[in-house]
Amino acid sequence: MMKKLLPLLLCLLLLTGCAPKPESLDIFAMDTYMSLVAVGDEAFDALQKSANIVNSLEQAMSRTIDSSDVAQLNATGSAALRYDTAVLLEEAIALSEATLGSFDVTIAPLVALWNISGDNPRVPAQEEIDALLPLVGSEHIHLSDGSASLDEGCAIDLGGIAKGFASDRIAQLYHESDLSGGFVSLGGNVYVHGENTDGEKWNVAIQHPEVSGGYACMLSLTDAFVVTSGGYQRFFTAEDGTVYQHILDPATGAPAASDLLSVSIILPYDADKLHGAMADAYSTALYVMGEAAACDFWAGQQNFDMVLVTRDGRVLYTPNLIDHFTEVEDSGYDYQVLTA
Amino acid sequence: MTTKCSPPELRPKKLDILVAAVVLVLAVVVAVGFYGPKLGQSDHLTAVISVGEEVIERVDLATLKEDKLLTVEGECTLNVLLSNSGAEVILSDCPTQDCVHTGHISRAGQSIVCLPGQVVIHLEGASDEGAPDIVVG
Repeated sequence: MMKKLLPLLLCLLLLTGCAPKPESLDIFAMDTYMSLVAVGDEAFDALQKSANIVNSLEQAMSRTIDSSDVAQLNATGSAALRYDTAVLLEEAIALSEATLGSFDVTIAPLVALWNISGDNPRVPAQEEIDALLPLVGSEHIHLSDGSASLDEGCAIDLGGIAKGFASDRIAQLYHESDLSGGFVSLGGNVYVHGENTDGEKWNVAIQHPEVSGGYACMLSLTDAFVVTSGGYQRFFTAEDGTVYQHILDPATGAPAASDLLSVSIILPYDADKLHGAMADAYSTALYVMGEAAACDFWAGQQNFDMVLVTRDGRVLYTPNLIDHFTEVEDSGYDYQVLTA
Repeated sequence: MTTKCSPPELRPKKLDILVAAVVLVLAVVVAVGFYGPKLGQSDHLTAVISVGEEVIERVDLATLKEDKLLTVEGECTLNVLLSNSGAEVILSDCPTQDCVHTGHISRAGQSIVCLPGQVVIHLEGASDEGAPDIVVG
């Protein structure tokens, strides 16, 4: 009896011993808080390499690190670009054109003027805004053989796309590593890889924009990017009580007067595309567009999925998500599937 | 003439039993260690407070007899209210106030982040059925 039992117990030990524990890493970088998890034989290495990726991108793309490509470009009007900066800037211009300017990295002078995410936010005079608006537009960026130049007075801010790009690079690393699963959460930019620790798809909750700690919906996903933009967390309240959220409309130079509370873009991992960066840029752009234009944009493209939370209490989502989407009973929202 | 082979000794010796017991205990410990805590969760809702990358305090919220006000000194100073139901930053001298705007968090997996202060309040444990792995927003 014991001789039969012993091999069984050893097998049990092997089974449990082989199951790798999740490794996690939390860091402050790229002006956000990042949480990374990896499961698998190469989890520890993957996280260390991920941290190196983030650090490298921050050194290249930060507006506030003097030696970065972006800081150099903004300060002198031209700069030689590291490979990743050149790739991302080219992608940013393409996404700006695709969204008809609703996403635009040349919004930087107006971001600095309002300084909503900074130490001293203020409401500028309309004349100040009008003076800077001509500097906004991707036509002011000129790329050439690994270097870039800007028209006089212009500046760029890759903050609306660099974290998505970082998730692209980490997703690629996760795919090249021996991992059964993992995720990265880079301040509103999420990428889920493989299976969760229960061997199932990852349960991704989209935050309720109006209820602290609540969820608007749940998505069951694997090998996918989810990026959410909204104005409900980062804002400032002026002396007269007016609330100004931080996402600026490149067309007006003022905080977007959106009829949406949040926009989430969902895209699958594709080794040949920068879907993390695309989801990051689209989430901002569609928030700026508002419900009607965002729905038209999706119907015209149909190469991404989205979840919109509207100010009047509806959650709209694209039909491809039906099998991955779970409503939240007590959210107070009316759920509707979009049709093209 | 036939010879009768003697049967092998099948009865377990004391050492067999000891080895089996050790293996069993090890298997259970490893299994519980892996499947029990999901990303470090415990049974109780626990607030883990970090400054930078250092955990400075873990508070088991379920065992709090009354609300607890905690002053967290990072790059900024935050007043964090902890209760049986969760955590909330009620006051912060940080410029952005994002941590205050986050409001009350009550479920495992949720966090309050103060970027200027480099402070994170993260809830662990007490996982409920259908709880998300990640929250995006």
